[in-house]
Amino acid sequence: MLGILKGLATTLSTMVRKPVTVQYPTVRREIPQRDRGFPVLLWDHETGEPFCTGCHACERACPVECITVTMKDNPLYAQGKSERRKIVDEFWLDYGRCMRCNICVEVCNFKAIAMNNTWMGHELSRFDRADLVLDLGELLAQSKEKKMQAWVPK
Amino acid sequence: MDHLDEFLENPWVNGILGLLAVLVLIILVVLALIYIERKFLARIQMRLGPMRTGPYGLLQSLADAIKLLAKEDLRPARADRWVFELAPYAVFVPGFLAFVAIPFTRNWAVSFLELGLFYVVAVTGLSFVGLLMAGWASDNKYALLGGMRAAAQLISYEIPLVLALVAVSMVAGTLNLREMVEAQGRVPLVVWQPLAFFIFMAAALSELERQPFDIPTAESEVVGGPYIEYSGIRWSMFFLTSYANLFLYSLLGAAVFLGGWDWFLGRDAGPWLQALWMAGKTTFLILVFMWARGTFPRLRIDQLMSLCWKVLLPLAFLQIFLSGLVLVHGWPDWALLLTSGAGLLAAAYIVWAAVRPRPLAVREAVASGSVA
Amino acid sequence: MAVEHDLETMEIPVNMGPQHPSTHGVFRMVLKVDGERVVELVPHIGYLHRGAEKLCENMDYRQGIGIHDRTEYLAPFHAELALVIAVEKLMGLEVPERAEQIRIIMAELNRITSHMMFVGAFSADAGVFGTAFTYAFREREYIQDIFEEVTGDRTMYGYFRPGGLAWDVPDDFVERVRAVLEHTRQGIDDIDNLLTKNEVFMARTRGIGAMSAEEAIDWGLSGPMLRACGVRHDLRKAQPYCIYDRFDFDVPVGQYGDVYDRYLVRLEEMRQSVRIVEQALEGLRDGPIMPKKMRRRLRTPPGEIYQGVEAPRGEYGVYIVSDGTDKPYRMKIRSACFANLMGLRDMVVGHFVADAVVILGSIDMVLGEVDR
Repeated sequence: MLGILKGLATTLSTMVRKPVTVQYPTVRREIPQRDRGFPVLLWDHETGEPFCTGCHACERACPVECITVTMKDNPLYAQGKSERRKIVDEFWLDYGRCMRCNICVEVCNFKAIAMNNTWMGHELSRFDRADLVLDLGELLAQSKEKKMQAWVPK
Repeated sequence: MDHLDEFLENPWVNGILGLLAVLVLIILVVLALIYIERKFLARIQMRLGPMRTGPYGLLQSLADAIKLLAKEDLRPARADRWVFELAPYAVFVPGFLAFVAIPFTRNWAVSFLELGLFYVVAVTGLSFVGLLMAGWASDNKYALLGGMRAAAQLISYEIPLVLALVAVSMVAGTLNLREMVEAQGRVPLVVWQPLAFFIFMAAALSELERQPFDIPTAESEVVGGPYIEYSGIRWSMFFLTSYANLFLYSLLGAAVFLGGWDWFLGRDAGPWLQALWMAGKTTFLILVFMWARGTFPRLRIDQLMSLCWKVLLPLAFLQIFLSGLVLVHGWPDWALLLTSGAGLLAAAYIVWAAVRPRPLAVREAVASGSVA
Repeated sequence: MAVEHDLETMEIPVNMGPQHPSTHGVFRMVLKVDGERVVELVPHIGYLHRGAEKLCENMDYRQGIGIHDRTEYLAPFHAELALVIAVEKLMGLEVPERAEQIRIIMAELNRITSHMMFVGAFSADAGVFGTAFTYAFREREYIQDIFEEVTGDRTMYGYFRPGGLAWDVPDDFVERVRAVLEHTRQGIDDIDNLLTKNEVFMARTRGIGAMSAEEAIDWGLSGPMLRACGVRHDLRKAQPYCIYDRFDFDVPVGQYGDVYDRYLVRLEEMRQSVRIVEQALEGLRDGPIMPKKMRRRLRTPPGEIYQGVEAPRGEYGVYIVSDGTDKPYRMKIRSACFANLMGLRDMVVGHFVADAVVILGSIDMVLGEVDR
């Protein structure tokens, strides 16, 4: 009998505690700096081009082979405005395949790719699975508009 | 105006208006209870409950009602048509009929029957027929098994429930519910007969099919209940009945055990104050039922049955016997408390003894040559 | 009058199919039921087979960490630990002190989250209407917040690397963990008070699914299932890996090997994990987290190695056959739940159908591990 009364007392005591619900989407929890959303590419605001040079390092390291990269000669290098000889030409990342393992970020030599640690890295619903394959413009969009503070491990 | 008064004095008109008022009251209370249950259980679980439909989720019951009304009304092709369609109503009607005899205040009831308690018990005992109808007519062997189990549970727990109420009516000396409430002017009956109160609450939990006795509606068990083939309006009738029964048993408990609208306000308080007081006690019992729901796991069907027949039934008989002894010999009232309290301790002991660990006969050995 | 002495009875096959609220993943059990007793049980697995072992043959060890995360998805740190320790032993790497301490903290916190998940799901099986479930998940969320701050992900961490860790913990790590441990102690006490001495819970779990120590060893059980039967075998004490031999903790051992004992063992293990985490926090010093001069490509010398760890469910082991390249030639995963599931039939046969659900819940299955 005592056990039943103890159980009832426990539920009574939890009734007066503050509820732990966060009422998403009116209230959004603050996510920590290292949060691993889906990867995005970073934009170099000083030179006005992506950091990515198209070196294929992330493409080779990706366990699920969700990245496709091509590189081209950098027109800004020819003009003398940038140090990068080659620059990324096309970049596709399939968010449907990505397992957010962070390996592409670790192997990148140019700190060009980072995991999206904002809410936009989590709210990615689409109606069609093909829409989850993002191209270069879409991947650079958030960094171009300075809407994120990327964290890249040392 | 005289014509109006005469018109209202007509017993037929009076009765019909009373029934309509009770029907409206039941519906409003059920809508409120759906919301209250969800919020209350959410608070026990440290979460918020419905918050989106209307401010603080107040329109949740309305949203549920609209959703259920708009659902497609399915019927299995080989179901027994009339039995299938009448089963929800067969479950609702006995509960509604029982409200006829319940006094809400001193002067407010549909009818102050002399055999009030007897009538209530007799009528609520009919609700299992609807469950059997639902289980049989669904053309589904699991629904049939579930329906029979539910019916067995309801019928078995009728008996301790009735006996507990009999014990109380012995002490009050009447079956008329209004007089029973008034007999508790000084002290509510729960003080004289705590064992009967405990048996009443346990049996009511089982009649309501709530934790820890909610086998028929258990979702994580293999056999679904008798309701599985129902959807839309028909299912909402079962849902409505379950909350209406909750309201009914809480009213009954508040009237018979907690002193209803009389203790400790007295007979002369105004009718609205009495109604409020009665509502308060009823709400208290409703919350206790909901509290139990959030706390207990569910019992297995055989444990449920053995609890009823081997524990609650003998205790109910014990309570009647001891109360009878005290009343016949004319011993003072506190002897009632003594005997009933002793019975309650006996109940606690039985529950403890049933679950204390005892060595398992066959498989017990500790490994020889234990590793590390 | 002739008496029928040959009533035709039928043993009903009951299919608890792949989609079921309480089979903890896509698992199928076909029970043969005679009345209420289970006569035969045939488990069907393989619904979640994803070819993890084959995939690992095409991935190097760092990429394979992600696969192991998703195999044992409720205790990923232990799966990662098995893999990285196996690779470190193959290559003869020396792991820095700080990395070992942090690994232990993470692994033990993961044990707490895994057992919390067990308590929540198990109490839902037993019938508690979600109260213990939300308590358990509240605690889980606090610890997952720490994991998110350190690794970036709440469930699939990918944090350990052969040689140490991928990156260092944030600066406020020690204070955060200490703050969370306060919550965890309170949460474990809440669940303890709600369930452990609850007579209804004990009636539901005492004496159910018992297994003797010899049978447990014969079937190859490990982890809390084995310890509940009375066998004092814990890999952290028997074959210490990482730096577990430096910590002071007890290994809870049950007595009867029934479902209640398994619950008690897991509850106590949570408390012991809190102890270990506190000791590790005390011993955390600054330093490197990876050995110096780590090569980019981890070519393991040819050979083979088996490394088992004490995952929350039992002994999770990785057997690697290496042919000299940076990808394993064969990686075999010894999954704890697969072995634990083998004893299911012996535990369930002879009990009621309702108990089958409870026993299945007590095994604490993770289908990803069973099917790989």
